[in-house]
Amino acid sequence: MTLFHFFNCAILTFGPHAVYYSATPLSEYDTLGTSIKAAVVYLITALVKLVCLATFLNVSETDSFDPYQELLKALIGFIDVAGLYFALTQLTHRNISQCHKFQAVGLGWAFADSVLHRLAPLWVGARGLEFTWDYIFQGLEANANLVLSLSLAALGSLMWLRKNKPKTLIPIIYACAGIVATMPSITSYLRQGLGWHLPKIVGFELFTSLGMAFISWQLFAACQRPSN
Amino acid sequence: MANLQKSEPSLGFVIPVYSSVITLLIIVMTCVELCDAVTVVDVYRLVQYDVGGMPFGSRLAALNHHAGSAVLSSGAADLSRTVLILPIRELNLTFIRESIGRRKPLGGLLLLLPLDFSPQDIENIGEADHSSAKQLVKEVLVELEQLLIHANIPYPVYFGFEDDDVNSVLADVKRNDATGQLATATTGGYKLVVAAPEPKKIASPTISNTQGWLPGLKADGGSNQLPTIAIVASYDTFGAAPALSVGSDSSGSGVVAVLEIARLFSILYSNPKTRGRYNLLFGMTSGGPYNYNGTQKWLHSLDQRFRETIDYAICLNSIGSSSNELWMHVSKPPENAYIKQIFEGFSNVAEELGLKVGLKHKKINISNPRVAWEHEQFSRLRVTALTVSELSVAPELLESTGGLSDKRQFVDEASISRSVKLVAESLARHIYGQEGKTIDIFADNSSLAVNPSYIRSWLDLLSATPRVAPFLSKNDPLIMALKKELTDHTVEVNVQQEVLDGIFTFYDSTSSRLHIYQVASVTFDLLLLLGLGSYLIVLFSFLVITTRGLDDLISLFRRPSSRKMKTA
Repeated sequence: MTLFHFFNCAILTFGPHAVYYSATPLSEYDTLGTSIKAAVVYLITALVKLVCLATFLNVSETDSFDPYQELLKALIGFIDVAGLYFALTQLTHRNISQCHKFQAVGLGWAFADSVLHRLAPLWVGARGLEFTWDYIFQGLEANANLVLSLSLAALGSLMWLRKNKPKTLIPIIYACAGIVATMPSITSYLRQGLGWHLPKIVGFELFTSLGMAFISWQLFAACQRPSN
Repeated sequence: MANLQKSEPSLGFVIPVYSSVITLLIIVMTCVELCDAVTVVDVYRLVQYDVGGMPFGSRLAALNHHAGSAVLSSGAADLSRTVLILPIRELNLTFIRESIGRRKPLGGLLLLLPLDFSPQDIENIGEADHSSAKQLVKEVLVELEQLLIHANIPYPVYFGFEDDDVNSVLADVKRNDATGQLATATTGGYKLVVAAPEPKKIASPTISNTQGWLPGLKADGGSNQLPTIAIVASYDTFGAAPALSVGSDSSGSGVVAVLEIARLFSILYSNPKTRGRYNLLFGMTSGGPYNYNGTQKWLHSLDQRFRETIDYAICLNSIGSSSNELWMHVSKPPENAYIKQIFEGFSNVAEELGLKVGLKHKKINISNPRVAWEHEQFSRLRVTALTVSELSVAPELLESTGGLSDKRQFVDEASISRSVKLVAESLARHIYGQEGKTIDIFADNSSLAVNPSYIRSWLDLLSATPRVAPFLSKNDPLIMALKKELTDHTVEVNVQQEVLDGIFTFYDSTSSRLHIYQVASVTFDLLLLLGLGSYLIVLFSFLVITTRGLDDLISLFRRPSSRKMKTA
């Protein structure tokens, strides 16, 4: 399979990020700096999460689903949200509209996530002679992750950057944000607790990411209306 | 803000886009079946050797081709880049004979032996197995082995075992071949890879001969040398796959018998009251398949005066099959008084044991280098000798030397015990002058009884150790073990190391690991690239339309002209 297969899986994993950047007005407003800053914040967040996981989590011998461990992992997952908050609010951005800011941050976040988690296995594994479907599924997962990151960034910007929100929508926003933030825990529960195989999990991720993207899109549009 | 309102109608694009990607994936999936992980199996190479410069055996070791099955063998397809996987159970010998005879180009050959021929399967052996299916496989193996050993094959030939992984791969390959499509780089399939370096000649292969010496009781004041009786067996083997040549019957049975006889006589000789008036010399020689080269060198190394004191030598070869008939092969004419006396002694004991012993005479031709039996090497130096064997006809060069079919499951320990009793009893009656008398020296249930568990444990050990002489180093554990065992039973042990005669040259690389990969075809990769390209283009257009509007997408393609219009 060698390099051809590696090239295919690489463009499946990283292509959409580049396409997103060039297709949307992000490229016109030159928001590359924001994306890079968001990627760096992701790296720092990942390091912090790693340290916390190493300190608080026991490694279990069996592959079973331990609710307590998973709860701990979910709590540590909220560090992600904190990192995103930091990236959205604290970093000094040039004057770009909120609409583009969350896209840039989400894009940088998802790109850093893909590179960190998927580049090394791809380089080592996809170049071998033996063919497996794993790397194609991994690429699809990266796509779903991109959509999820964008929705989380959108909801985050709604929560923290927008001051005048319709009162009725606020609980929905927080609920959706909660669901998107705990998506990794849900996925690992499906994998270990219910024993789903990779194709099913990737399908579920794609489906939910599209669903959440749609919902957050509607929420964003709804919050835009009062200012129109 | 305004452009977000335009994005409403484009919602309809989402579902068709993703569904088209999924349908494309399904189409692509039908080209390549869902596979399991790479398989790694141990395989053993066909022997590669030269006789006087003439090459024989498989001349290559490295393998890197697509797999094919027996289905393809009937067609006229070009198989020069295909490795054929052929199970021995369903083997068509005429095809192999033809392809070797007509020197048809082939990428490689992988022959699969039944799992119970595996050396790891020793624990499950009960009685000697004589089912007809096994006998059929045995016959096929014998014929195949002779065919492969005496042919010059320019491609790699490997032997493997039919375990589950290989069987599933073979079933898949058969299914693919049934569609008539040859597995190549453009169609995908299984690829067999053996990463082995170029086989090198083994420089100066050593053969080790071990001898144990039990001195007899010297008469008071006797200055004469006591006569000696030698009991010899050859311990090495030769077969189509050197890493699998355990030769349980052809040489293993002989070695086990020599050890057991040594043990019994060491008990008798330990007490001076029961020590006989004969010295006993136990020998384990190497180089058997190569015209008993080791025996010749060993005899030449003995002092000539000592050689003249050897009364006679008994050589043991292939005494493990469960027939009731044994043969004594001699080179001196049967009318010779000495031979008659020995044969009578053997026959008497054989009758008591329910065995039948026949006498066969084969004249030796000094000018012919072919030495068919071990006793002929003794006879060439004018020492009376005979060979006890279940084979009635002298084997040809490299025949019956412990090949693929000579496994532990076909050997009967009870036969070995009986043969041991035959030889030991006849010897003892001769030594103690009790010929013709009804006396059972090594009676069952006595302290001198033949020990079946001793025989079984040594037979099991030998049946798990391949013993092709050029591949045994000077300090091989087996040689050390035999030396130690003889040291336990005899008084003086010597190991003689010699170099195998230059006519035979061997090459290394006898076993390797085979990697079986399932590879997807280049067509699959191209289709995938096409699919991904279209997905990215669709994604790009979708994003441009949703965020910047349809006009922007069109303007991307008409950029030069629109710019001109703007500047104008």
